[in-house]
Amino acid sequence: MATAGRRSGTRRLRVGVVKFASCDGCQLTLLDLEDELLAIAERFDIVEFPEATSRRSAGPFDVLLVEGSVSTEEQLEELLRLRRETTTLVTIGACATAGGIQAIRNWSEPGPWAAAVYPRPELVSSLAMATPVADHVIVDAELRGCPIDPGQLLELLTALVVGRRPQLPDESVCAECKRRSATCVVVAAGVACLGPVTRTGCGALCPVFGRGCYGCFGPRGGANVTSLVANAPGFDDDLVSARFAGFTAWAEPFRSVIDGHGGPPGAAPAPTAGDAPARGGRP
Amino acid sequence: MVIGATIARNVPRWLPAADLGRLLDALRADGRTIIGPTVRNDAIVLDEILTDADLPAGRGAEAAPGRYRLTRRDDGRRFDHAVGPMSWKRWTFPPRAPIRVGRRTATGVRFTSSEPRPTPLAFIGVRACELTALEIQDTIMLDGQAIDRDYRARRSSAFVVAVECATPTSTCFCTSMGSGPEVSAGFDVALTELDDGFVVRVGSPAGARLIDALDLPPADGSAIDAAAGVVAGAREAMGTPLDMSDVRVALAAAPEHPGWAAVAERCLSCTNCTLVCPTCFCTSVVQRSDLDGTTSTSERTWDSCFADGFAKVAGGSFRPHVQDRYRQWLTHKFSTWWDQFGSSGCVGCGRCIAWCPVGIDVRQELGVIAGVGPLPLPRTAIAPLPAASVGRPVAELTAPALGGFVTAHVDGSTRETGDTMTLHLRTTDRTLLSGRPGQFVMAALPAFSAAPISVSRFRRDGLDLTIRAAGPATRAMAALDRGSTIGLRGPLGHGWPVGELAGRDVVIVAGGIGLAPLRPLIDACLAQREELGAVRIYLGARTPADRLYVDEIGRLAGRTDIELKETVDRAGADWFGRVGIVTQLFDRATWDGRNAVAFICGPERMMQATADVLSELGIDAERTWVTLERNMSCGVGLCGHCQLGRFFVCKDGPVMSLATLGPAFTTEGL
Repeated sequence: MATAGRRSGTRRLRVGVVKFASCDGCQLTLLDLEDELLAIAERFDIVEFPEATSRRSAGPFDVLLVEGSVSTEEQLEELLRLRRETTTLVTIGACATAGGIQAIRNWSEPGPWAAAVYPRPELVSSLAMATPVADHVIVDAELRGCPIDPGQLLELLTALVVGRRPQLPDESVCAECKRRSATCVVVAAGVACLGPVTRTGCGALCPVFGRGCYGCFGPRGGANVTSLVANAPGFDDDLVSARFAGFTAWAEPFRSVIDGHGGPPGAAPAPTAGDAPARGGRP
Repeated sequence: MVIGATIARNVPRWLPAADLGRLLDALRADGRTIIGPTVRNDAIVLDEILTDADLPAGRGAEAAPGRYRLTRRDDGRRFDHAVGPMSWKRWTFPPRAPIRVGRRTATGVRFTSSEPRPTPLAFIGVRACELTALEIQDTIMLDGQAIDRDYRARRSSAFVVAVECATPTSTCFCTSMGSGPEVSAGFDVALTELDDGFVVRVGSPAGARLIDALDLPPADGSAIDAAAGVVAGAREAMGTPLDMSDVRVALAAAPEHPGWAAVAERCLSCTNCTLVCPTCFCTSVVQRSDLDGTTSTSERTWDSCFADGFAKVAGGSFRPHVQDRYRQWLTHKFSTWWDQFGSSGCVGCGRCIAWCPVGIDVRQELGVIAGVGPLPLPRTAIAPLPAASVGRPVAELTAPALGGFVTAHVDGSTRETGDTMTLHLRTTDRTLLSGRPGQFVMAALPAFSAAPISVSRFRRDGLDLTIRAAGPATRAMAALDRGSTIGLRGPLGHGWPVGELAGRDVVIVAGGIGLAPLRPLIDACLAQREELGAVRIYLGARTPADRLYVDEIGRLAGRTDIELKETVDRAGADWFGRVGIVTQLFDRATWDGRNAVAFICGPERMMQATADVLSELGIDAERTWVTLERNMSCGVGLCGHCQLGRFFVCKDGPVMSLATLGPAFTTEGL
């Protein structure tokens, strides 16, 4: 990654936190680092953080944490501007890194949905697809997850201060399951679990509680989804696409599994009177 | 035989089922935490046992490839189940262990090794396959050149109560690996469970003391017969063993077998097989630092040769494909483990089969790739194969503790190229100063991961490190200036055979930064110049700006008693030297390769091409030496990162002759 790192003793890094289409949960993780907040404030000059302060600032930023997918024209323009003003751009969370849950709409025509949900759909203006930030600008580092892991956020901030590479392992959730002595839910209970193809970072949160992983942190490098679906227990029903159509549905190779299994569940809403014309579909 | 009031050690005793709690109490009274089988989350796992009631009475388990299920039993037996997902390594070799703390202080960087202070443990319910697994990990961690102190502390204080296996499952194949089912060694006390109690055997003085204190009566003949029947039944249940007598050789000969690609189609590279394996020992070091980078802790964590980053260096992964990793794992377990540790790495516990989410069965893969099938005759004991010695004698190797970084002072630095610096370091550490040409050190700064760096000069009062700023850690090191400090651990590995050169012609070929580990060799050749024949040095670099030690090389080029030629891959108008590849520099007409020894360092493909040309010129594999780059981490053969076929590059290399390396030098993805 391009680094904005400075050795200790030099000026504080100017940090911004911004959001596009998202729930704010990931930026709130920064406020959840309660024990370290003072140390963070000493080391970082947080000049833009709407969730924490009404103080606003313009760039340039040494570090910009970007939450949310790009879902509107305005967001896209804003993102391009911010990238020009930023040294190290870090995407945080499943929306920014993979498109988020809202990217499931990428499989549908937006018109009927808007008409089904909003009384005046003509006021809704959005891009045809909700897309990850990296589809539009160069991203220097990413924190995965829905929401991101506080430990990984702290690791990223620490690495930025010291000027080293953050340790964000691209290994399976299984590795963390085993280190935590969690019993494999696939083998011991036949539960469908995306852990073998999903990047770790959550600390194997769901399997520890007997649930299958549903892929919040998105696919890991080299994820063999084909074999998982064909050979692992739990994928022998008609819910295969539903299992992959979660927070990171739009990330490959999860997206291809969904495509190969009839698209995400839930067809477009039943047509209603006064449907707005579609604003484009999949390219 | 009864001598006085005590019963001889070899007389089996009887422990009534209801009295098992007394055994547990006695272990606890000894200050031990008891670890044993207990039911948790759909499996029988190994965890702390507070009372007899924590043991899985009346529970069993059955397993198949990719499948494990708890079962109910009609009896109240507590140990009558096949092995679960956890092995005892969870307790002897925990998934996370602190190894050192690094600090920046007013006087420089300081590294402090973590001191293991484990609670003494007692294991209850250890199977024969598990005892063999513990023995195998003992060999790795305690019998090699380097001792894992954390492992030693945990293992040496553990009291082992073995329990004979009664009900193996379909994934069990200890009889094929010669590791069970009978408990025969490596225990303090061994139990055989019957419905109404346990036949108790003593396996050590500590076990004898414990059993004497419990004042148990001798077991009667029918109980002893029943106990023998339990083990015989377990053996019978596993059916005909597999014939593993040829697997070591067959796998070593099968690196190009199409079966690797086929299994890689199914393999998820999820790491489960390696993490449930009771003998797998690969680890990585994770750094955690505080926000101002003054204090950092280094923690050793379980890792796996299936993980994406496991064999990565700055230029990419040495095992980019899943088939490379599966081949590494299976070949290591059943073949190269013999070369490294004198035994198989598999004990036949079957965990890798049961806990593979897609049910890959190593027995089947061995059948496809190595022709392993059932033993044709009634089973006879498989004689262990002799351990093959790897590399050269290891007398010169010292193995500092994993946390043991010595602080060295930066006296100055020299810029070599745009991204490469030579640090001139001063130290009084005798071990570091005893290093030999070709050896390397692990270099560390607090908060950064340690990096393997070959020593580019040994001096009486210190050493030089030539560091290319390829990543954040090496960038921080290259930026160190006079007066700063750095942590060093070493010297590590085998160096160049400088003592064997008298009367020989010497050929030295370097590509790019590959000159760094060769520079101490050049120093050594110059120091014994009169004893050598011709000395020829050939240097290649990408561009003129990428040449190292330019002034020094210029002076060498002026000497009449050595031949030194340089070339670059490409150059601008200001370069008056040669352009081309380094092998074009060889003056074939004046050479007699038959008396020459060659030393090569550079990118792997350059070394291969150079070795081919040298071979044509009469320098055979025994006299061609290379030094290899891998992602060395522990530097002493304990972390597994730098494996290359049967070698640990860190301790068997990094300098090796092509004769020793054999096909490992050219096999892709090894």
